[in-house]
Amino acid sequence: MEYTVKAEMPGLVARTTVKPGDEVEKGQEILVINCMKTELSCTAPLSGTVREVMVEEWDELEVDTPMIIIESN
Amino acid sequence: MIKRILIANRGEIVNRIIRTCRKMGIETVVVYSDADAGQHYIDEADFSYNIGKSAPSKSYLNIDVLIDVLRESKADAVHPGYGFLSESADFAKAVAAEGAVWIGPAPEVLEAIESKCHCRKIASDNCVPITPGTIKPVTDINDIADEAHRNGLPLLLKLDKGGGGKGIHKIEDVDSIEKLSADLESVKAIGRMAFASDDVYVEKAVSNPRHIEVQFIADRYGNVICLGERECSIQRRFQKIIEESPSVAVSLHERKKLYQYTAAVVRAMGYSNAGTVEFLLDETGSFYFMEINARLQVEHPVSEMVTGIDIVAGQIKAASGEKLSMKQEDVTIEGHAIECRIYAEDPYTFVPCPGKIEHVVFPDSDNGNVRIEHAVYDGYKVSPFYDPMIAKVITKGRDRAECIERMKEALSGFVIEGIKTSIPFELKIIDNPLFKDGTFTTAFLDKITFQEDNV
Repeated sequence: MEYTVKAEMPGLVARTTVKPGDEVEKGQEILVINCMKTELSCTAPLSGTVREVMVEEWDELEVDTPMIIIESN
Repeated sequence: MIKRILIANRGEIVNRIIRTCRKMGIETVVVYSDADAGQHYIDEADFSYNIGKSAPSKSYLNIDVLIDVLRESKADAVHPGYGFLSESADFAKAVAAEGAVWIGPAPEVLEAIESKCHCRKIASDNCVPITPGTIKPVTDINDIADEAHRNGLPLLLKLDKGGGGKGIHKIEDVDSIEKLSADLESVKAIGRMAFASDDVYVEKAVSNPRHIEVQFIADRYGNVICLGERECSIQRRFQKIIEESPSVAVSLHERKKLYQYTAAVVRAMGYSNAGTVEFLLDETGSFYFMEINARLQVEHPVSEMVTGIDIVAGQIKAASGEKLSMKQEDVTIEGHAIECRIYAEDPYTFVPCPGKIEHVVFPDSDNGNVRIEHAVYDGYKVSPFYDPMIAKVITKGRDRAECIERMKEALSGFVIEGIKTSIPFELKIIDNPLFKDGTFTTAFLDKITFQEDNV
């Protein structure tokens, strides 16, 4: 089953900490959002494999912008 | 003579600089990123240039693009504002290479100031007290253990070229070699990542300090005037929220001493232009030199309000090579001024809150006793790309109590619809008994939590 991680708040992509193919644990940091110079960690909502990273560094995020697709194990 | 200034910044400080330029008959050139294309100062300035995409690295931090604008606009000086490239020696050098005037200290001074150890050594050589610790980067953990034996605990590990509170680590004990090594390595790692330098020095931690800073203007001829001190202890996450001048913790005698320390450091550095020397004041009443801020600061208006001196004008004159027209004894501190920074953030969780300001109403100026610095308007989009500060409100009173009352009225007079702001939080702070009687330290906001239901 695929799950799309979406932005919960507006901001910018400071950096992604995973790449397609990576195995991630639930709660592991997968992306960091920078909003007005404050960095907020975004974690995997479930364990699985990263299928797709849909955003790049400095991309602007609105609420619900899709960011990363994870396929559950 | 400076005739045309390029303002390499954004937001409220652009309006602030334009105002003084107008008064002095100087033309202005403003720059804006895509996100700032609606800023009103684009129309108010004499010239304006789009400098690229919204991300700071693609616009306000892009030296090449700014130098292109400098050439094309034929500006003869650059005011860097605060933040962004304001303390960049590289930018200052590039500006000078174009034959334009950098409104700030010389690039060599900016470079030297980057090293905290260098500044500590200069202070110490000139009989200005520094916190006990090293004036050279440490080579290994033995240096840290030595310091602990010499000066006691707790100690702070700090990055020589750090800033913004990043990479500061508190050492409570030196019992475990493994732990000490790991701590040192983790601070070094932050330095390599964030500041391209992993030099670390050690200083004794000052418990419950107050943050006191002295505003100064220096000319090229060794003349220095100090414009009172500012109390900046009300901060959280190393971000200042409320500043004031004078400080209730500084006596006339102590102010004189701080002025002496400031002038000594400024002269020893060969620093010309406006700047700030930061000090910590500990519980026993001792002052320690901390660092120099080589820029116009966000909180400069409180010093302007109590001295009546236009600091931006002072910067422009100093950069033009003019001699200071005032002597220290001509500077008088009159009344009391407080500044509140208004942030676009949730006042209870402090989470940043970008979005559109649907409607904004400012409090009135109360015969000049209330000053608002901002660059927002109905429909203004607070961008996630930049600092969350959307406005500053500065009030003046004959004394501190009157000033606080005016601040309360001014903050209550704001209407900002569409986004959350820090105003409810600030109203709560200025109403707090510890704030009112002035017995607070930098730990003030750690000790006090404001619940949503009683804000």
